[in-house]
Amino acid sequence: MTSVMHEDGPRGAAGMKRNGSASMRRLFAEGAKGPIGLLAALVVLIVVFSFLNPRFASIENLQNVLFQVSVPLILVVGATLVIQMGSIDLSIEGIMGAAGMTWILLSPNTRTMIDLGLWAWLIALVLGMSLGLMTGVIYAKLKVPSFVVSLGTWYVGLGIAILLYGNNSLPSLTSEALARWPTGLTLGLPHAFWLAALVLLFGLLISNYTNLGRGLMAIGNNEPIARMSGMPVNVYKIGAFAIAGLLGGLAGILATMQLGSGSTDIGFGQLFVVIPAAVIGGTALGGGEGGMIRSALGVVLLIILNNGLVLAGVDPDYQSGVFGLILLFAIIAVAWPERGRLKVAK
Amino acid sequence: MKPDAPVVLRLTNVSRSFGKIKAVRSVSLEIRKGEVIGLTGENGAGKSTLLKILAGIERPDEGRMEINGKVANFKGPNDALKAGVGVVHQEQSLFTNLTVAENIEHQNIERQGLSRFGIHDWGRINREAQKVLEKIGVDLDSRTRVGDLGFVDRQMVEIARAVSVNPDKSGTPLIILDEPTAVLEQAEVEVLEREIRKLREFASVIFVSHRLDEVLRICDRVVVMRHGELTSDRLTEGVTKDELFRAMVHETPSVAMRSRAAPSKEGQAAIEVRNLTRHGRFDNVSFAVRPGEIVALVGTNGSGRGALARALFGAETFDAGTIEVNGKAVSRWTIAKAVRAGLAYVPAERKVEGMIGGYPGTRNIALVHPEHARVGPFLRPRKMAHIAQQWFNRLGVSPNDIHQPLAQFSGGNQQKVVLAKWLNNPELKVLILDHPLRGLDVGVSQAVNREIRKACDNGTAVVLIPDTIEEALEMADEILVLKDGRVSARHDMRSAGELDVREIVSEMV
Amino acid sequence: MTYRSGTPANVEALDRPDKVAATLVRLRRMVSWHVIAPPLVFFAILLVVGIANPAYLGPFGISIATTSAAPILLVALGQAMVLNTGSIDLSNAAIALFGAIIFALTIPDAGIVAMIAVLIVLTLIGAVNGAILAYTQVPSFALTLGTLGILQTAALVTSGSETIYVSENRDLVTALHTIKVLSVPLTFWIGVFAAIFFWALLRFTIIGQNMTAVGKNESGAILSAVPNKQAKIIAFAISGFASGLAGLAIVAQAGSASASGLGSNLLLPGIAAALVGGTSISGGQANPINVVFGALTVAFVPIAAQALGFGAQAQSLVYGIFIIVIVALTTSRTRGAVIK
Repeated sequence: MTSVMHEDGPRGAAGMKRNGSASMRRLFAEGAKGPIGLLAALVVLIVVFSFLNPRFASIENLQNVLFQVSVPLILVVGATLVIQMGSIDLSIEGIMGAAGMTWILLSPNTRTMIDLGLWAWLIALVLGMSLGLMTGVIYAKLKVPSFVVSLGTWYVGLGIAILLYGNNSLPSLTSEALARWPTGLTLGLPHAFWLAALVLLFGLLISNYTNLGRGLMAIGNNEPIARMSGMPVNVYKIGAFAIAGLLGGLAGILATMQLGSGSTDIGFGQLFVVIPAAVIGGTALGGGEGGMIRSALGVVLLIILNNGLVLAGVDPDYQSGVFGLILLFAIIAVAWPERGRLKVAK
Repeated sequence: MKPDAPVVLRLTNVSRSFGKIKAVRSVSLEIRKGEVIGLTGENGAGKSTLLKILAGIERPDEGRMEINGKVANFKGPNDALKAGVGVVHQEQSLFTNLTVAENIEHQNIERQGLSRFGIHDWGRINREAQKVLEKIGVDLDSRTRVGDLGFVDRQMVEIARAVSVNPDKSGTPLIILDEPTAVLEQAEVEVLEREIRKLREFASVIFVSHRLDEVLRICDRVVVMRHGELTSDRLTEGVTKDELFRAMVHETPSVAMRSRAAPSKEGQAAIEVRNLTRHGRFDNVSFAVRPGEIVALVGTNGSGRGALARALFGAETFDAGTIEVNGKAVSRWTIAKAVRAGLAYVPAERKVEGMIGGYPGTRNIALVHPEHARVGPFLRPRKMAHIAQQWFNRLGVSPNDIHQPLAQFSGGNQQKVVLAKWLNNPELKVLILDHPLRGLDVGVSQAVNREIRKACDNGTAVVLIPDTIEEALEMADEILVLKDGRVSARHDMRSAGELDVREIVSEMV
Repeated sequence: MTYRSGTPANVEALDRPDKVAATLVRLRRMVSWHVIAPPLVFFAILLVVGIANPAYLGPFGISIATTSAAPILLVALGQAMVLNTGSIDLSNAAIALFGAIIFALTIPDAGIVAMIAVLIVLTLIGAVNGAILAYTQVPSFALTLGTLGILQTAALVTSGSETIYVSENRDLVTALHTIKVLSVPLTFWIGVFAAIFFWALLRFTIIGQNMTAVGKNESGAILSAVPNKQAKIIAFAISGFASGLAGLAIVAQAGSASASGLGSNLLLPGIAAALVGGTSISGGQANPINVVFGALTVAFVPIAAQALGFGAQAQSLVYGIFIIVIVALTTSRTRGAVIK
């Protein structure tokens, strides 16, 4: 007899487990939506692009790809934390602008005669974190949807960058050491990438081994239950945005170093890398799913796609279009099985 | 269970009211270590409020609650959990994206030193969880994702969590299972029963269920609630189902309190369903409603009648079977088509689904059938106001202000407007009502019932999902009893001589 | 047991309220905060500017303010219509810019025909946004972020990353900017007429009633047989159309269009203008006529900043703060609701 069943949950799983084939099933189930699928896509892309342009597979180009990957990789760690709890952070480009401009004006540059050394880093990072903190507090305490708050923060950050830039001349880095640092190689890999890898490690630690990271996953899965079981939900929410802001600041500094001069638009286009990357990495916008490694693979995939297309002779202008299209397909693919007559889509 | 076992839970004269309604009236109850208590009663008998008090979700207005000899004064669900009361709800409270171990231990990680410098020690967390699972005798890998588990296993994880959180290892955990079998298949029920017997060795259990067979099979003692009171507290041994029914249902005159002429059984049905099936919701349901007839669908909360009502209205899909409206079979049934064919649906969730709270009466009434107040694509505000005013007057909506947002009205007056919205259609053929009297006081209920009968007299067919069986007996020409998605009995009230509530309850559970 | 609710005496008592009191109640309801706040805010900022620099209150000032307000107003009107159904359109400014570029490309050859054809195309782009939202049920901010990217590329590619000057038929389009009625250019008047039109649409038509119902309570609307998909598609189509008009206003003012030129930063001012104009971010609340005041307020922000001695650079910062403050002040909060 079929009885009335609960709405969610694979009911067959219990029976399957008892006959012992569950572990196999689980392996495949996770493989299909997890890193294996992404890795396969990566391999296909690499093979195709290598045929289209032999330069693609050269050491120099691969180092170049890793160089380009660094900034979005740092950003995606913060974005993944935020998306895992079911929120969204649209402010990264603005925060990058504010922190990058702050940093270069306090480091050896052609405009201000100030060099605060490590303090410049600290001040820029604190600025980034404060902007994230502001987003988080307004979102969690005033209960304003995160996409609007972070849209506002985007422009606040951008505004700060523009104000700092003022009407004066372009600030360029004068310290050779700083300007060259991102491209310098250690063990064959650019320093910028090492920094990003370190951030990724930090993200993995937060996400998988701390109350904050696990709490964010729980909030994304079911916020009312998280509150009921006594989790400090608001603290976690604010924490996630603060980390995202801090990493946005770091990404802004790195990008400024890579460019060698200050620009208010230093973060331009990053939103179109980071959000599609997290979504194709399996971090559903609804929250509770996905992980750092997968998001990172998503970033690598998109950057390789972009790099390969450019080498294949496609105009770089197509970048935001291609990424926009990928975002579109990714969210539709996620939402398609969930459609329903009474579902409310906002 | 030994009679001298320590008392785990002692309730003394616990009461809780919501406004004028006394949901729990002076309940006193004692549960000893190792006992499995069955708690049963009709929908709305006060069981869920009592559970919420035990779970720390609601606080009692008066009375005293002791757990393991200590006075319990829960400020929230977390306090209850810490005191060793674990409630396994029908809507489960697990994080499906996390592992079994994490779900069991997440509240213990800081307290029991399962992390060092804020970094989780997964090895220890998994081992601790595994120990708890072994203690309650469940064969599960603590590293499994909860989302990959079946329903019974998830319930076991909830039980394990309830057991693990109990900080005072000497105290006995109290596990409350809220309708755990309502969503299970037969084989799963048997597994659950085995697990519950194992729990007995170190815990006390309250097993809440509509299904008397299971209660009698699993429990040592049965407690029955009716209208917020405990009406029976007996050992399972020697008690009969009939005695329990009597405790559950108030003695009512067995003749229906019908107050209108019986409509004909002949003629074309306004709506007829044949073998309608939606997997997991309702199965092979057939019935017909003729103009002027009222057919009541009676059943417990999980019986599938709500889903059936939505399928009739095109709000949900169905997998097999046919719906015929006025003799024509429908295809690709949607809400739009249903409304065009003259169907109407008053949902149970009035505020969320039944109305647009931010709109005044005028617009709410004009929303479904704007054709009565329009010129081409334009609305006619005066005509809208005129129509709304007529309905407000006819149904006695108070305050009589058609321009005030509906959200500012009381529930009863909102329901009148929701009804008016659908009745404002001379072509109304079928009226589907899901709990139309929910939360309404007697006066408004009678006004609503009067309108339903009036619609019937005008040739509308009514499908009614009543709050209570008495309501069905009062209103219906035919009663369909649903159990687990299937029709378990039919009663034609025009020919049924003696029919009482107890008989219907026995067909539901 | 008494039949309290239905007794004739009771009904009559309620039916015969004090006429004066009833009128007052209705008046108070009409003059609720979000109805009078937008003009109040506008006149407050006008006062500030007027005190700091009275020249801005003359014909010259009016002309400057309304000129820069015109594209903001048009984009904001579309945004308000989308917000009213409970969604958001992050792609509308990109539609406006893309529109400006194809206006500049086609008007020299085809004149008025080009204007109409391009407006139709842009309306369709909006409708496609709405259709994808309605049928795939994805979150609108993510969907329109995707289309924003695609439209950015479209703008760059169609313009070849260069500034497109309207060579032939230049007067045809710049007339919209140069012809002024009461010192206010035609582009702004178009916005005012569009606002009145959309206001009437929401207030007096079945389609408008349905759109607002979807924004107020989509579940309730669906179960009241409101065609919710149609409502969303129309709202987004309106957004595409209004953005197209904004594109026209950009070309009229500049005589040219480019992917990074005038009008490339309309998204946030547009949202801010809609919100200052009393539109609710959670849906079901919009008054297009008040959006006119919202757009004027937003356009006055850089002017006010300059009049008060700040540089025009503060603009982005002020817009960002504006949005956060307005939304924080106006969001309706229900207990226990999950905000994502």
